[in-house]
Amino acid sequence: MSEVKNIKGKVGNFEVEIVRHPRYVDESLCIACGACFEKCPKKIPDTYNQGLAKRKAIYVEYAQAVPLKYRIDPETCIYIQKGGKCGACKKLCPTGAVDFDQKETTQTLNVGSVVLAPGFKPFDPSGFDTYNYANLPNVMSALEFERILSASGPTTGHLVRMSDGREPKKIAWFQCVGSRDINRSDNAYCSSVCCMYAIKEAVIAKEHAGDDLECTIFYMDMRTMGKEFERFYIRAQEKGVRFVRCRVHTVDPVPGTDDLHIRYVTDDGELKEEIFDQIVLSVGMQTPPELVELAKQLDLELTPGRFCKTDPFSPVSTSREGIYVCGAFQGPKDIPQSVIDASAAASAAGEVLSAARNSLTKVPEVVPETNVINERPRVGVFVCRCGVNIAGVVDVPAVAEYAKTLPYVEHVVDNLYSCSQDTQDIMAEIIREKNLNRVVVAACTPKTHEPLFQETLINAGLNKYLFEMANIRNQDSWVHKNNPEMATEKARDLVRMAVSKVSLTQPLKEAELDVNQAAMVIGGGISGISAAKSLAKQGYETHIIEKGERLGGQAWNLYRLPSGDNVKKRLTALVEEVEKEPKIHVHLNTTLASVEGFVGNFKTTLQNGGAQDVLEHGIAVIATGASEYKPSEYAYGDDPKILTSLELDRKLMDDDDLVKKAESAVFIQCVGSREPDRPYCSRICCTHSVHNAIELKRRNPDMNVFILYRDIRTYGEKEYLYQEARKLGVIFVRFTLEKKPEVRVEDGSVIVRVIDHVLGVPMEIEADILTLASAIIPNADEKLAQFFKVPMNEDGFFVERHAKLGPSEFATDGVFLCGLAHYPKPIDESIAQGRAAASRAVTLLARKKIHTSGQVAEVNPGWCSQCGVCVSVCPYSAPTFRGADERFWPEKAEINAVLCKGCGLCVASCRSGAIKLKGFDNDQIFEQIFSINEAI
Amino acid sequence: MSEWEPKIVSFLCNWCSYGAADLAGVGRMEYPANIRVIRIPCTGRMSPKFALAALREGADGVWVSG
Repeated sequence: MSEVKNIKGKVGNFEVEIVRHPRYVDESLCIACGACFEKCPKKIPDTYNQGLAKRKAIYVEYAQAVPLKYRIDPETCIYIQKGGKCGACKKLCPTGAVDFDQKETTQTLNVGSVVLAPGFKPFDPSGFDTYNYANLPNVMSALEFERILSASGPTTGHLVRMSDGREPKKIAWFQCVGSRDINRSDNAYCSSVCCMYAIKEAVIAKEHAGDDLECTIFYMDMRTMGKEFERFYIRAQEKGVRFVRCRVHTVDPVPGTDDLHIRYVTDDGELKEEIFDQIVLSVGMQTPPELVELAKQLDLELTPGRFCKTDPFSPVSTSREGIYVCGAFQGPKDIPQSVIDASAAASAAGEVLSAARNSLTKVPEVVPETNVINERPRVGVFVCRCGVNIAGVVDVPAVAEYAKTLPYVEHVVDNLYSCSQDTQDIMAEIIREKNLNRVVVAACTPKTHEPLFQETLINAGLNKYLFEMANIRNQDSWVHKNNPEMATEKARDLVRMAVSKVSLTQPLKEAELDVNQAAMVIGGGISGISAAKSLAKQGYETHIIEKGERLGGQAWNLYRLPSGDNVKKRLTALVEEVEKEPKIHVHLNTTLASVEGFVGNFKTTLQNGGAQDVLEHGIAVIATGASEYKPSEYAYGDDPKILTSLELDRKLMDDDDLVKKAESAVFIQCVGSREPDRPYCSRICCTHSVHNAIELKRRNPDMNVFILYRDIRTYGEKEYLYQEARKLGVIFVRFTLEKKPEVRVEDGSVIVRVIDHVLGVPMEIEADILTLASAIIPNADEKLAQFFKVPMNEDGFFVERHAKLGPSEFATDGVFLCGLAHYPKPIDESIAQGRAAASRAVTLLARKKIHTSGQVAEVNPGWCSQCGVCVSVCPYSAPTFRGADERFWPEKAEINAVLCKGCGLCVASCRSGAIKLKGFDNDQIFEQIFSINEAI
Repeated sequence: MSEWEPKIVSFLCNWCSYGAADLAGVGRMEYPANIRVIRIPCTGRMSPKFALAALREGADGVWVSG
């Protein structure tokens, strides 16, 4: 609801002018009860559901919105449009939150750095008249189809056609709508995400509608270059999703029906006609015109595709110092890459501000905690009416009366709004006055309000874990509004279950632990040094451990970047900068001998030749990289003219005779990648080969250059290279996994034989240079994985905490991940992830102390049978065995409260019943179950 | 028999299904009231004993979701 109008000033001292549009609802008063929404008479298309459903003029955009507050759309609200002729919401609002007098306000913020994350707009296919999107309801955009598949969408996830509500039997996806198209749109770039989302939609559609649903994807190149994406593509094929390589020109309606007729050409040149029930247009990403305008206003340079221009060595910095960018405005990209950029931008913004860190913090006053151990439980029950939200359905006074009859209950109150500030103060007062030592609040949901009520307990001097909520709104009054009796009955049960559970709670302690402020980065390649540089700039002593003789890693082998940058020159400057940085300590020719400890307190023994050294550090970044696959196929090694991509780079750097004298060059793609025993795409080889092909053409325009490929995966704005290469006359020949090219060396000549995909006949090319675009293979270091207790996937890449939302960290706290060790990626993405890993690490280091949760697992060592199940099942590496030489309970399991996330997996798995989960212990859950029987 | 309603005890993971049940409320979806939810920190916490105890206490069905 706010917009940036202008940014004045410079790094360290920006003035940001912000216009805040009126919500017409007072955020501090709105409790999101929805009474206004129910009574609002104005129905309009629901933008969140892509116009496929209706909403009201007063609305929340979607159920998960934060803050969960209503707003009025001034464009459609009757009161605002017709001068006061309605106002139903204002009359009905129980808290008086509706405020039609709110005005647009302007605000100026003084900040040191700025991060731009304005996102993208999906391409609007209405202009493609041959697809008839605007006229035919069964031609829909992929975003509309997403809503149809969604449980919260207009059809609650039921897959039906929009025209007649019939379940479709045949659906087609058209790729590259508004991407890779300078004919009907201005978007020459690839949008990077559409291939993957189309496959995902097809697979989910089949899951929803059953396997007999026919899904067909019409595409140009299938670009599944992300981590685990290729496997997903293969699985989709196995599940029966059909892939047809053709860009379809026209969609025609079938007269008398709502079906759709298309014509297309198959790979072998046959013209086919087919009828589909539904067609989904895989629309691309683009920067909206208003954002282009803002960029101009802010004096930011844009790329030809109207994305924010960045330098590959500082991938999140805009052309204006102190302003950073992340997400799809930096270039079309998927969620993991956006999350990586976001962390990197946060880090970049933080580096500039590191001097000011902690200068505005306030310390809250601490109320001393009352000791309640060994006291008989004295439970206070607060039943909330939530205006009419609960009380309109549930008989709140009856529930309150009932609560008084429950064991240990000392005091019961019903509140109009339990969450209001004055009620909080009254609750704290009652807790003290009545000497309560356990509290139950029957109200909304602990997911949103538990922290608030726990704060009240703390203010009343009670341990915050002596608390339980009964969910009588979200899971009761709101969902059983037509059955008040049953809802009241359920509320009684929920209150009883909560009282019986809370009576068994004990005050829990949250351990505090110092975080060692030093960082260790393992691997001195480009991502590792980027992480180290970022950590050092934010004020942390950082050690780079590099097994080789110098910093820089694989990047030394690269010639030029697609941007034209000379890698050697840029890398030399970067390495010099890192070596000069006083907070960075470089340990060359060094490996890890052992690692002890855990988050905040690692102790690593470094091995340098015969010498050992111990390093104490709070966090670790794993940046151990990957290397080039040395091919065993395509006659590699039989002739000096057969090279890998990196070997060609070396020849280009040295201006070798091989390059100078060559009259023909052939590149073979996917060498060792996308193969049955290595089913992943190495992501960078297409761009690398296309770029080198251009380089060869530039050096010798008469050279015959061929690229033999399966799919060209020049994603994002790398697509321009592909276009340029074709313009320069590079010949692209496609082959399949079944019919790979053959290479033979004959009398000192390298002959490549491949079947031409257009003519279908074999052809032979004599190659003066044959470049094999070989796979990137990880340095699968089992020992390192064991040292930090972090997992690796079957390809040998490390497995991050979350594929989408946690790409630069591990599930094990305090250990972070970046670069090729995560997945193959180009230099800009490696640098971004290095900074992202540093950013995630700083969120931990900056806290200086870690506070554990009180709700953690604990071992009773006397009952432990040392079976080791807890050690093997824990995803967070919290349980370990005590040492054999310990005085007490040697070799028994123990759980590190700092690492424990309280999931309870070990508790349920322990054969001996030796593990307790504080806050969710067996006796508490059983007590809840036992108090159900009166209920149901 | 037509009025017979099964009694269901559900164990919902705090991070997904419990949150989803909350969202069902935010979306004002309606469902029968014969279900009682016990929030657990993760379905990994679920023990067969909980299901057996619920059945012994008179539940007709146990639903674990996470």
